Amino acid sequence: MMILAKLGLGVASTIVFASVYTFREGVIRVDVDEHRDGGSHVHFWVPAAAVPLAMRFVPTEHLREAASHASEFMPLVQIVTKELRRYPDTTFVDVEDGDDHVRVSTVGTKLQIDVVNPQENVHVAVPLTTVNDVAAQLAANAPGI
Amino acid sequence: MHARSLRFTGPALLSLATLLASPAVFFAQTSPTTSSASSSSDRWLHVRVISTESKGETVRVNVPLEMAEKVLPAINKDRLHNGKVRFDDHEMNGVDVKALLDAVRTSKDGEYVTVQGNDSDVRVAKQGGYMFVHVTEKHSYNDKNGKPSEKSRVEVKIPMKVVDALFSAGKDELDIVAALRALSAHGGDTELVSVKSDENTVRVWLDSKNVSD
Repeated sequence: MMILAKLGLGVASTIVFASVYTFREGVIRVDVDEHRDGGSHVHFWVPAAAVPLAMRFVPTEHLREAASHASEFMPLVQIVTKELRRYPDTTFVDVEDGDDHVRVSTVGTKLQIDVVNPQENVHVAVPLTTVNDVAAQLAANAPGI
Repeated sequence: MHARSLRFTGPALLSLATLLASPAVFFAQTSPTTSSASSSSDRWLHVRVISTESKGETVRVNVPLEMAEKVLPAINKDRLHNGKVRFDDHEMNGVDVKALLDAVRTSKDGEYVTVQGNDSDVRVAKQGGYMFVHVTEKHSYNDKNGKPSEKSRVEVKIPMKVVDALFSAGKDELDIVAALRALSAHGGDTELVSVKSDENTVRVWLDSKNVSD
């Protein structure tokens, strides 16, 4: 009985730790709604903590190829994401053109991109720490490093 | 029994601490009032473009100057390197801009250029530590008051310190980062550029608010 109780406590603690870690890192949210017949509707939430972890399983050659294309911009991405964290809940770019509306903003410590037009609605929210981690991993895998 | 209870105390306290910490950690992610929030002393550069053509496009850009100062040196593309823009001498049509600005800086306040033409008026002046450039384009027809109707009006008001900083780099370079630093140090709200034409209204200004009006 006591062993079961200990086991239960261990499992509960693990779940609690996993939950805390997940919430600390935040979640990536993607919502895509196409307004045409048969248009796709994609809605998913992914724990941001899973992204850097998943990147460790990407074959090195694929990571190097991606890094070679993006290496030019990675230092810039790292600086921008680091700086954006200092400005929570701020709209940086807002473009309205008739029924089209594009907005780039920070919501808390997430970067949020909203595109709304008669054809589709796209909302993406990514924790800035995740963007920074991914940029750092790509920069580390850039050819010549 | 007491020993058993003690054995549970460690993990139980750890779990309790974790549970208590979890909302704090969670809200730290979402709360807008984090300790890393931008301070009220931050200076923001705002750009607003309103187009009256077709569907009426509106563009609003809000950039903290401190962020721009840090991001710009990381962009190395075409003519922009380390926060400086290189320009060719022939693009200035042989005009020594640095010598020109030096002459303006050391001169007293006044109106340096005034051109009144049939199709445009130009005014370049220095006053109260600012450099003013006003350009008005005119239509070929007159308004109801009998004066030439305005096609577009461009008003630029730049603190002289910013102009100095802009040309503080090499002979053929504009130091954008130095200019941004000078803008940051410039106190008060400042309207830098205003363009009004039949098709567009453009406004570039500086203040301490993170939203445009």
